[in-house]
Amino acid sequence: MFLGDQRVATSLCGIDLETPIVNGSGTLDALVAGTLGVAAFVTKTVTLNPRDGNPPQRIAETPSGMVNSIGLANPGLDVFCERDLPRLGELGVPLIVSVGGWSPAEYAAAVRRISADPRVAALELNISCPNVDSGCISIGTDAGETRRLVELCRGLTDLPLLVKLSPSVADVAAIAVAAEAGGADGLVLINTVRGMAIDRHTLRPLLGGGGGGLSGPAVKPVGLHAVFHCRRATGLPIVGMGGVSCVDDVLQYLAAGSTVVGVGTAIFRDPGLPARLARELADEITARGLTSASEVVGTAHGTTAKALPKL
Amino acid sequence: MPSLATRSLPLLAVEAVGLYTLLRLQADGGEVGEPGQFFMLQADPEPASAYLPRALSACWADSGEIAFLLDVRGEGTRALAHARRVRLTGPLGRGFAIAPGPALLVGGGIGAAVLPWLRRALGGADAGTLLGFRTPAHAVCAALVDVEATIVLEPTLVTEPLARLMPFAGTVYACGPDPMLQAVAALCAEHAVDCQLAMEAPMACGFGACYGCAVRLDGSWKRLCVEGPVVEASRVLG
Repeated sequence: MFLGDQRVATSLCGIDLETPIVNGSGTLDALVAGTLGVAAFVTKTVTLNPRDGNPPQRIAETPSGMVNSIGLANPGLDVFCERDLPRLGELGVPLIVSVGGWSPAEYAAAVRRISADPRVAALELNISCPNVDSGCISIGTDAGETRRLVELCRGLTDLPLLVKLSPSVADVAAIAVAAEAGGADGLVLINTVRGMAIDRHTLRPLLGGGGGGLSGPAVKPVGLHAVFHCRRATGLPIVGMGGVSCVDDVLQYLAAGSTVVGVGTAIFRDPGLPARLARELADEITARGLTSASEVVGTAHGTTAKALPKL
Repeated sequence: MPSLATRSLPLLAVEAVGLYTLLRLQADGGEVGEPGQFFMLQADPEPASAYLPRALSACWADSGEIAFLLDVRGEGTRALAHARRVRLTGPLGRGFAIAPGPALLVGGGIGAAVLPWLRRALGGADAGTLLGFRTPAHAVCAALVDVEATIVLEPTLVTEPLARLMPFAGTVYACGPDPMLQAVAALCAEHAVDCQLAMEAPMACGFGACYGCAVRLDGSWKRLCVEGPVVEASRVLG
């Protein structure tokens, strides 16, 4: 639909994208619902062993968003590679596979195996899941550990390596710098923000896992702040996300320094959103007298030659 | 793949049915699906107070209207009950597989909401209805399903009259709270009676994306929106 529309065409780590709109990991099952117009499909995080996920209740609505505690439910590396990857390869958009693990060896196994599949365009290392207690999957809180894990994975793949970071840290830019030093090609931020919901009747945690990850418009300022500071601290391209619900949000994430923008929780309430955002972004670029969305990237830093015309 | 086109339908009427609320939307000629399937509903314009849509199975749907019976509990359902238009995605999921032979409809509380359309779809088939409610005011909606329904009130459970009809020579279709469905499934399994359950779980999306609606099927957590919401009762006993 957008093939050749230079207003929105972009690239991420050498991967050509028809638009800068992708999904956040774990917010779309393209084998059930199709791609819904995303320019690249990001899979739910895959781990070496299958995971049943956390007990219900797994989701709860919160002001301007929701908390989730899914617990990385996934079929495991073998089933993913043998059953799902062939079908995902037929979606017609670049495929970014998100991988997680409980030890460096588990990440290594996943990175090695998935890199061998020619259908995969890039890897996302999920080191920032808020819903599991231990292991590498939560090492995105430690700069040294992050650097060592990225270095290990870097040595195992020639595919672009994206690292997904958590905002629930003291200084996300320091983690981003560590990922860059380890050899990352790009950053994905933000993962959900640690949060909790308590039942107003029982006064006990609503989610089966106790706490969870907050997403939706409630976290947009957190995401913008993280993207802005990681853009400042590193030279890496950024897939920015967190509360994106409308084209203004897309522009703001681009302005903060994202090359590509992810949509997540808003897909749940409006499956037509990714396709609509791409159309509206193209219109917005024209309305502002620009030729390409890439001209918006980083404008919040004041580094572009001309100030953007105001609408 | 399900059609995920979202449409906005005007409300024809909002009617109190005892303690529940009947939302009647004007149909637009679009797909309405079959009994037991569900839709994602959100007040249009969307309320600031409720971010996510609500998953509801239609009470009935035809060329003129799509109706939903609501238990108004919080911000989302309250916004729906006061909306002028409702945004709708669906039909989604798997509905009832209507089997030949006699039918027994079993409902608990707001679970009765899914049964009127099923009762219509069964047409002239030999069908009976058992419904359980907390109070007489909740039970008013029984007339939407079947004016000859057998009604029990707390503390009596709907499984009591059901047990007296066992072994039922036909298919049991049940919808209600989870403990009720587990009990109905166990009773039907004990007597080797075919049974389908319309289950409920909190859903954010309704189309397999969020993994929020996990229910125990075949011994592991599965997405109800993909596997159900109507499932063979034997699957919850595995």
